[in-house]
Amino acid sequence: MKYKLIHRTTYEYQVFVNGYHSLACLCPKTTPTQLCSAFTLTITPTPAELVQRTDFFGNTIHYFSIQQPHKELHVVAESIVENLPAPPPLQGKPSVSCAEARRLLEVDQNLRNELLQFMLPSPFIHWEKEIQAFAKDSFPENRPLFEAVQHLCARIFREFEFMPDATTIHTPILSVLKDRKGVCQDFSHVALAAIRSMGFAARYVSGYLETKPPPGAKKLQGSDASHAWISAYVPGLGWCDFDPTNNVIPGLRHITTAWGRDYSDVPPLKGILFSSGKQKLKVAVDVLPLEGE
Amino acid sequence: MIQKNSVGLLQAYRRELYSYDEVVDRKGELKPHWNVLFSALEKLGLRELGVRNQEIVGRLQENGVTYSVYEGSDGLNRPWQLDPIPFLIHQTEWKEISRGLQQRAELMDLILKDLYGPQTLIRDKVLPPDLVYRNTGFLRACHDVKLSGQHQLIKYAVDMARGPDGRMWVLDNRTQVPSGSGYALENRTVMSKILPDLAESLFVRRLSPFFNTTQSTIAKVFGKGKDDLTIVYLTPGPNNETYFEHAYLASYLGYILAQGDDLLVRDGYVWLKSIEGLRKVDVIIRRVDDDWCDPLELRVESKLGVPGLLQAMRSGKVAVINPPGSGILENNALMAFMHAACRHLLRQDLLLPSVATWWCGQEREQNYVLQNLHKLIIKKANRASRSIYGKSLSKDQLEQLKREIQANPADFVAQEEVSFSTTPSYVNSRIEPRFAALRAFVIGTENGYQVLSGGLTRSSPERDRFTFSNQYGGISKDTWIVGDEVEPAQETLSVTLSTSQGRKQSSLPSRSADNLFWVGRYGERVLSTITYIQVLLNSLSVNQNYGGPEQAEHLTLMLRSLTHLTLTYPGFVDEGEEERLQHPLLEISDLVFNVNRMGSIGSSVDSFLRAIKSVRDQWTPEVGRAIDLIEGSLAKFRSMDQHVAEQRIVQKNLDKLYTRMFTFYGAVSETMARDNAFYLLECGKLMERILSRVSVIRSGFVFRNSDFVENELLEALLNYHHLLGRFRTSYRSQLSLVAVLDMVLLDKHSPYSLTYQFDLLIEYLHKLPSLISGERLNPAQKTILEAATKIQLVDVTQLCQYDAETLYRAELDTLMADITTLVLSASENITNLYFNHVAIQHSLFVEANLTGKDEI
Repeated sequence: MKYKLIHRTTYEYQVFVNGYHSLACLCPKTTPTQLCSAFTLTITPTPAELVQRTDFFGNTIHYFSIQQPHKELHVVAESIVENLPAPPPLQGKPSVSCAEARRLLEVDQNLRNELLQFMLPSPFIHWEKEIQAFAKDSFPENRPLFEAVQHLCARIFREFEFMPDATTIHTPILSVLKDRKGVCQDFSHVALAAIRSMGFAARYVSGYLETKPPPGAKKLQGSDASHAWISAYVPGLGWCDFDPTNNVIPGLRHITTAWGRDYSDVPPLKGILFSSGKQKLKVAVDVLPLEGE
Repeated sequence: MIQKNSVGLLQAYRRELYSYDEVVDRKGELKPHWNVLFSALEKLGLRELGVRNQEIVGRLQENGVTYSVYEGSDGLNRPWQLDPIPFLIHQTEWKEISRGLQQRAELMDLILKDLYGPQTLIRDKVLPPDLVYRNTGFLRACHDVKLSGQHQLIKYAVDMARGPDGRMWVLDNRTQVPSGSGYALENRTVMSKILPDLAESLFVRRLSPFFNTTQSTIAKVFGKGKDDLTIVYLTPGPNNETYFEHAYLASYLGYILAQGDDLLVRDGYVWLKSIEGLRKVDVIIRRVDDDWCDPLELRVESKLGVPGLLQAMRSGKVAVINPPGSGILENNALMAFMHAACRHLLRQDLLLPSVATWWCGQEREQNYVLQNLHKLIIKKANRASRSIYGKSLSKDQLEQLKREIQANPADFVAQEEVSFSTTPSYVNSRIEPRFAALRAFVIGTENGYQVLSGGLTRSSPERDRFTFSNQYGGISKDTWIVGDEVEPAQETLSVTLSTSQGRKQSSLPSRSADNLFWVGRYGERVLSTITYIQVLLNSLSVNQNYGGPEQAEHLTLMLRSLTHLTLTYPGFVDEGEEERLQHPLLEISDLVFNVNRMGSIGSSVDSFLRAIKSVRDQWTPEVGRAIDLIEGSLAKFRSMDQHVAEQRIVQKNLDKLYTRMFTFYGAVSETMARDNAFYLLECGKLMERILSRVSVIRSGFVFRNSDFVENELLEALLNYHHLLGRFRTSYRSQLSLVAVLDMVLLDKHSPYSLTYQFDLLIEYLHKLPSLISGERLNPAQKTILEAATKIQLVDVTQLCQYDAETLYRAELDTLMADITTLVLSASENITNLYFNHVAIQHSLFVEANLTGKDEI
């Protein structure tokens, strides 16, 4: 599948902003199954500086700063991304069992070095007994790890209610677990905490998901949104993506932008501004399939 | 004779020993240099040592040396304590220790580069990966932030103590913002002033070469040979525990002391907001901890850092020393792996031993620790926790700790509790042995790491405890590296600094400028209020002596003027004034002593001192001493009962403060350089002086009063302007408003006349950077010129005219109102010109995306 991706962010400020420093994590990755063939970042007013770099996790980050006083800021990221069909991860065979996976992660030092930061607590991910108790049911020792993660994600999908305004980015995982509602970030964080509490490695993936309009209706502009899911490390298979919000294995319609330990490593946009007033934020995302191209 | 006595003091000391002591070597032989020191002590005598010790206390207080402890918002300032007996190490031994320190520094530098780079230490299983990924000091955003030059670790400090084998053992490492070298320097300065006799024939090594090396290294390595470098010393501000040292070192090294909001990133560079405008910064020596350096990429809530700083570092536009991220080396668990790391990276054995350390993240080590908990010292792997001494725990506590370790073993580190050496210390008027530890300082230069020939020794205040952190009241000691002969002449490294560099550094950060201006304004507010109250108290006494009417009219007017002057309504003006006028002293006493009442003298002194402390680096030692005296007055005010309405007591305290304020003015005018700092302070002072004088003229004379009342008021006014004597000699006439105003407004030679003050103000405003091209006047200059001209053009006779019916002097009122408005707006002009570069930083973590989308 090939997509044109448009991610528009608009800030409106009550009083003039005199200076703004920002980090954007909006550029889709190129991976063996995803090709980002074009990317443009259009910022108005024009930034005094715009620098691209690769962060610690290998994501593409843009730093920009705006010096002129402004009351409106537009950041538009446009890209062309093609998702290549990948063979199914399991190819019919079951993955290693949880017990075996845990053993491998312990004995294989090189593997452990590589994965450790995705096994430890991180700024948004730490786990209490409740989370471990919740996770336990999905990870019996002899169940294949891949299935165990799938099982966990299915439970999150079934038992948690998707409710946009129930949480903010600072809602602790424990409250999400208690109230059983939230959005994709919360569900991903719950899944990450659960998997790590069982001693496995998992990371946060930020990206997009193509949505389809109800049958017969036309797709509305700006109706898509950025999305988040997780990736768990299964020895023998490597990193495997899971989408607990939709209970699917991410495939052709998931577009990956970045990954990190949790949301705090890869927010799409963050910034520090010099102003004293309030601000309003609007985000519109379009994931447009490019058919026949 | 001396020899005999010397044996006495020394022998008395040696009888006290309960541990291995610094004065003897491993064979139990007295070290010769300690013998020399004890001879000097003997010659001095214990009694005299006590006297000198008191002098030290006084000197440190005068110099404002403090170590503040975070406690409440007010911040408790703990006076710095210095033992009159130094800590001695012989040059021969120090050379050896220095080699060990150099090796440690090199090793630390290599570890730092490796952990933020190829991580061979982890790959080759020298360090467990947990030491990086569990380390809160490992900052991913800093992985590509590098200094140019051969070292990443530039400043480094090591805590050491002498172990039972007679060697110095490493206890701890400081790599983010190593503190203490400034205190070491101050200790030396005080010691050489107060106890020069102790150093006789000890050939003490000097500290200055190390600081010269620091300066020249920073100029050469990070200044890229530029001539007019701008080097900033970045402090978290006056509330930081070691702020004294920041200000002290900044002014010693000639760097600009700045806080995070004095700096900003523009066009990829870091700029200093100075009163000349924005000035490009080349090097930042920081005292702000790693994760507070840049709110954009590190701690978002930090107001101490500079947004965009890491990016400016990445592009090589500014050098920050030490680079953020170096805190990773302070992790206590790392101590357990130093030897292996040294073998791996340097292919050498460690020269200096470390205290045996076990990281509980390893099974074998954990078991050992759990079994021996009662005799170990337990620390958290990541810094910022107090050490726990196993031996001091009860059985239950030990079990509790065991459970905690077992729950999160990787978070814990244990160290052997070693009995370290004691050293002679002056305690309770005697010389007693106390445990001591030494902090050494290292700097990375082009020619490798160099070690300060000295250090900061701290001894434990209690007899058998080994704790000496400043936080918990340790006592510091000057540290003498002694030789057998005069130190070989050092090449003077400071000549490598070009003279132009020294000159350029005088740039004044806007925040400092703002504070200096307010030092001037608050200081004068204090003085003019004191002066007026003194004049008032005088009139009250006179009235009493001559048994005048209980509430003479002129006194009522003067009391009202006081309320207007201090803006402390209702006071003698509004609601409840009847009663206050009946017993004026109660209100006056409150206006003097009540520090919490806006407009009172106490509160102005408080604001004055706060402003002074925020620009600590600006003051000469003489000014510092005057400040110390004024602090004493404030402390007295705070302790006073505000309701003591006793005129004598109020008077006495005012007189004392009055003299101290003039001491401050005198020290400022006699010792401060005539540069922007001075002129801003003076401008603030002059503006406040004009405002206060105008206020009193206005409130006293806008209505015509009876001749008697007006006469009394005129005399008070002349007193207030310090002009009564001069008036009598020059006019020899009866007091009349025309004559008095003529002098008070227009006398060109009296420092308290308005004309004189305006002339000076115009001159000083002219000395400040104009910031306007083409030699035009800036807004502040224009406004003051307008006000000054209004005074110049005054027709005094006209001014004194009053309406026959209402007795209102319209012209006088209008003029005084105009002058007030103009001076206030000039003050605002100055703020806008020099202090306000941008709006206040408002840090916002922008949450750009909070909703996902359901589907399928």
